[in-house]
Amino acid sequence: MSCELAHEQIVMAAYGELPGEQVNELERHMAGCPDCAAEREQLLALKELACAHPVLEPPANLVARSRLKLAEALDALPPRRWYQRLGQRIMNNLSSLQAAPVAACLLLAIGAGAGSLGGYQLARNHAARAAAATALNAPPQPLTVQTQPQAPGAPAAIANVSSIVRQPNSHVVEVSYNQLVPRQIKGSLDDPAIRQLLMLATRNSASTGVRGDSVELLADECRAGHGCPATGIRDALMVALRNDKNAGVRQKALAGLEPYVAQDVRVRNAILEALMNDAEPRIRTAAIDILQPVQGDTSVRQVLHSVVDTDQNPYIRTVSRQVLSREPEIQ
Amino acid sequence: MATDAVSYPTFPVAVPAALAWPAVRKVQSTLGMAATTAMDEAKRAQARESEMELIREAQAGSRAAFDALVRQYEHQVLRLALHLTGSEHDAEDIYQEAFLKAFRYIGNFRFECSFYTWIYRIVTNLCLDQLRRRKTRREDRAVTVNLSGDEIDLLASVSDDRSFSNPARELDRKQLGEKIQAALDKLTPRERMVFELKHYQGLRLRAIGEMLNTTEETAKNTLFRATKKLRLQLAGLR
Repeated sequence: MSCELAHEQIVMAAYGELPGEQVNELERHMAGCPDCAAEREQLLALKELACAHPVLEPPANLVARSRLKLAEALDALPPRRWYQRLGQRIMNNLSSLQAAPVAACLLLAIGAGAGSLGGYQLARNHAARAAAATALNAPPQPLTVQTQPQAPGAPAAIANVSSIVRQPNSHVVEVSYNQLVPRQIKGSLDDPAIRQLLMLATRNSASTGVRGDSVELLADECRAGHGCPATGIRDALMVALRNDKNAGVRQKALAGLEPYVAQDVRVRNAILEALMNDAEPRIRTAAIDILQPVQGDTSVRQVLHSVVDTDQNPYIRTVSRQVLSREPEIQ
Repeated sequence: MATDAVSYPTFPVAVPAALAWPAVRKVQSTLGMAATTAMDEAKRAQARESEMELIREAQAGSRAAFDALVRQYEHQVLRLALHLTGSEHDAEDIYQEAFLKAFRYIGNFRFECSFYTWIYRIVTNLCLDQLRRRKTRREDRAVTVNLSGDEIDLLASVSDDRSFSNPARELDRKQLGEKIQAALDKLTPRERMVFELKHYQGLRLRAIGEMLNTTEETAKNTLFRATKKLRLQLAGLR
């Protein structure tokens, strides 16, 4: 311990602000340092001297006078108006709320969630009842057209109305409509019907999960080399890479196209488009990696040059520069 | 903090052994200590609860509740103000201003600290303002002034059995007291306040930091500076 630190700690120890273990350390230091020991003696002497200026109890008449003067001053204050009291009450409540922000936010979130869920359920039940009543008893009325597929097990929904014919001199109307019937199919990934459905699912605008699962399955098939023809699955993956709103789905599609970057120019072009235009940096970075086997290609090099100049991400610019600098290694 | 190159002046005063470090508590039996601690804790918890109740009532507009709070803290407030300013008149003004402010702003009290800390924060700021005004006016701090305008020596009001048997010693103590006051006046208002709150009021540095709206570390450094200055001022004192 240095003497400088010891001098500070002597003051703290004298006023009971030093933890026990540090007091012991200080004592050990002072046992071997006469200057610091003298410093302590001086400080304690100062404390003793300072007691010559004692703190006195306030005289009773001072207390009484002060109390009286305060009471007069408080009585002289104008009474609070009702709006001032109301404002104060609101501020007090707000301050309580402020003191428990997490609890308040949780309550709000729970309330909003419960309300939304309850409202959704109510609306759904009401719609189902209304549809059933209409189908059974109601006089002819305009039908609700549903274009979205129903969950398995749910009652068949109407996809669209294809024609309406009114019988002459009659109140009878003939309506032709198409129904969506929920179905389920199980099969191997090699099954063309399954593949067809999976490719259709890559364009399911409603559910990111469904699109992601289908793209992943198809991409796995392509990576494993299990029949990934130029038309069909590869097309579906390229469409997903170009157009899907979800970055995760696009990344899966990109991974599925990797084995074909060298042999299929269309795949190469789709990946180059992703490198130029995809908003997600990790997809652009993955595209650079996937383009490694064809870095000698003129179009690839042109795109890399453009990326070096224009990409907003400094890491991507650096990697592109590095790839371009490896010219002797290029095919 | 860097120490000065100059070595500190020495005080030719014998230090009683009992003042070596703050006194250690008497050892009690384990069971007794536990029982006392539990009872003390229960009493403190009860006192805190009743004070919180009073504060809420005062926030709701109850004058009786506010008066009860004033009763709880008025002696401490006056004690501090009187010792710092040395003037009954100034102490009364500080008392008045502090409690009027407390009444006006009690709605803003959020129970984030103790009411004691909150009221002391108001009082210390008022005292600091007073000390700063005094610094510019350079009033004579050696004596107090009562409402009639008569000067009163503070030390003369200290009851001391020894004074009857040894007037010479009484004079010595009085002069010593004046010297101490003069040395305290040489401190900056902030140093004076920290020294007052630590040495005379016995508050923890952390609490002092809260009251002065600063950190414990800053309060520590201020105390260190204050003790250094006082030693320089009181060098060669007998």
